[in-house]
Amino acid sequence: MPPFPLQSDWAFVAGNLDLLLAGTGITIGLTAASILLGFLLGFPAGAVEVYSRGPLKRAVESAGVVLRGTPLLVIIILLFFGLSVSSSAFVTATIALGLRSAAYQSQIFRGALQSVDEGQLEAARAIGMGRLQAIRSVVVPQALRRSVPGFQNEFTIVLKDTSIAIVIGLGELLTVGQNLYQGGQSTAALEIFLTVSLIYFVLTFVTNRSLDYVDDHFSIPGGERA
Amino acid sequence: MSDPLLELDDVYKSYGEEQVLSGVSFEMDAGDVDVVIGPSGSGKSTMLRCVNRLTEINGGDIYLDGDCITDADTDVNELRKQVGMVFQDFNLFAHLTALGNVTLGLRKVRDMDKATAQEQGYEHLEQVGLLDQADSYPAELSGGQKQRVGIARALAMDPKLLLFDEPTSALDPELVGEVVEVMRDLAAEGITMLVVSHEMGFARSAASDIIFLDDGQIVEHGPPEQLFENPQAARTGEFLSRLETAHEEE
Repeated sequence: MPPFPLQSDWAFVAGNLDLLLAGTGITIGLTAASILLGFLLGFPAGAVEVYSRGPLKRAVESAGVVLRGTPLLVIIILLFFGLSVSSSAFVTATIALGLRSAAYQSQIFRGALQSVDEGQLEAARAIGMGRLQAIRSVVVPQALRRSVPGFQNEFTIVLKDTSIAIVIGLGELLTVGQNLYQGGQSTAALEIFLTVSLIYFVLTFVTNRSLDYVDDHFSIPGGERA
Repeated sequence: MSDPLLELDDVYKSYGEEQVLSGVSFEMDAGDVDVVIGPSGSGKSTMLRCVNRLTEINGGDIYLDGDCITDADTDVNELRKQVGMVFQDFNLFAHLTALGNVTLGLRKVRDMDKATAQEQGYEHLEQVGLLDQADSYPAELSGGQKQRVGIARALAMDPKLLLFDEPTSALDPELVGEVVEVMRDLAAEGITMLVVSHEMGFARSAASDIIFLDDGQIVEHGPPEQLFENPQAARTGEFLSRLETAHEEE
């Protein structure tokens, strides 16, 4: 009898499913926190790139170029080991993923804001709205709708990239899987990582379908699909 | 005698080297309907946009109801509450229904509560014959319907003056009539209108005065019967006959 029959490898995964699900919980939490941080920074950044002039615009654009031009792995290692921004791996990973996501989300929103034709802004100004109010009441609601497809992509990317937090030891899904395998308790590498992959897939699938629903729900009747 | 409702006094506008308006002056009284005609590039739309300061002038003054509105300290948002504008390309708010388009200004600019704004919104949609389309979105409307919503949106702010920037030139020919009819109704109600348009039927029947603008200057300004039947300037006659030929070719 071989020391580790195939059946026992799957049994090992099944026996440790609670650990994998706990890791999945952290992955979901990290994704949500990072996307939220990315939105809170990225949306205003996109608006600044479209509507602002001068030093603020240049600063935002430069920050975006740097963040988009640096590998996420480097950002997260730099923040954790280099700058020690937080002793919490979760907080550090959120900042790293959130900043990187902000840089990408800003471009999604920039494009969406620019896609709303100037004439509508002019019409809003012509009935006496201030510039900010016109942007808020007329351009932003349409731009947000048009951001959904790009946002969908970004959500999926961030979700999967949370796995990079393995390098700072955060107990997210991939880290849990890796620990199970490396602990020397099992040779079930294939089974563990297939299960981990399946969980990532289910998460991205559900997320995408939910955002499809959001897209449908908020689409403008008679108008182009977002 | 009371002040004219609108007065342009020696207005100049240039974009860099390009002189668009070169000393434009005219007046219109409350209740007047003035139609501006002229070749493309003559400065018609620019002149209109100067009146609600979507475009800033470089020289001269513009007065609305006796107040100089081109002073540096004029609140442009206050000015624009009093001057409505109807655009060539409608520029409806794509994410709002017809009713939403008409009430947005009432809600956000006039700070009206929702119920009052809607009540007024319905009235203005009725005025342009679109009560049954109140819940339609712009993309669900025909061009003529869109423009009528555009007119209702401008009317809702209860402006002293309505500006029309080529309101029918983006429309299919068979849809022009419904928009012109609404404009005719407004003219008959005594609403003061400054209209850039080559709808000659409207100009002949509804205009108090025709202003012929060419090369940034007013070449001729007078009542339609005089300007159309007996133009004083050679350029006016030439332009009108070109316009007529173009119409026949259609």
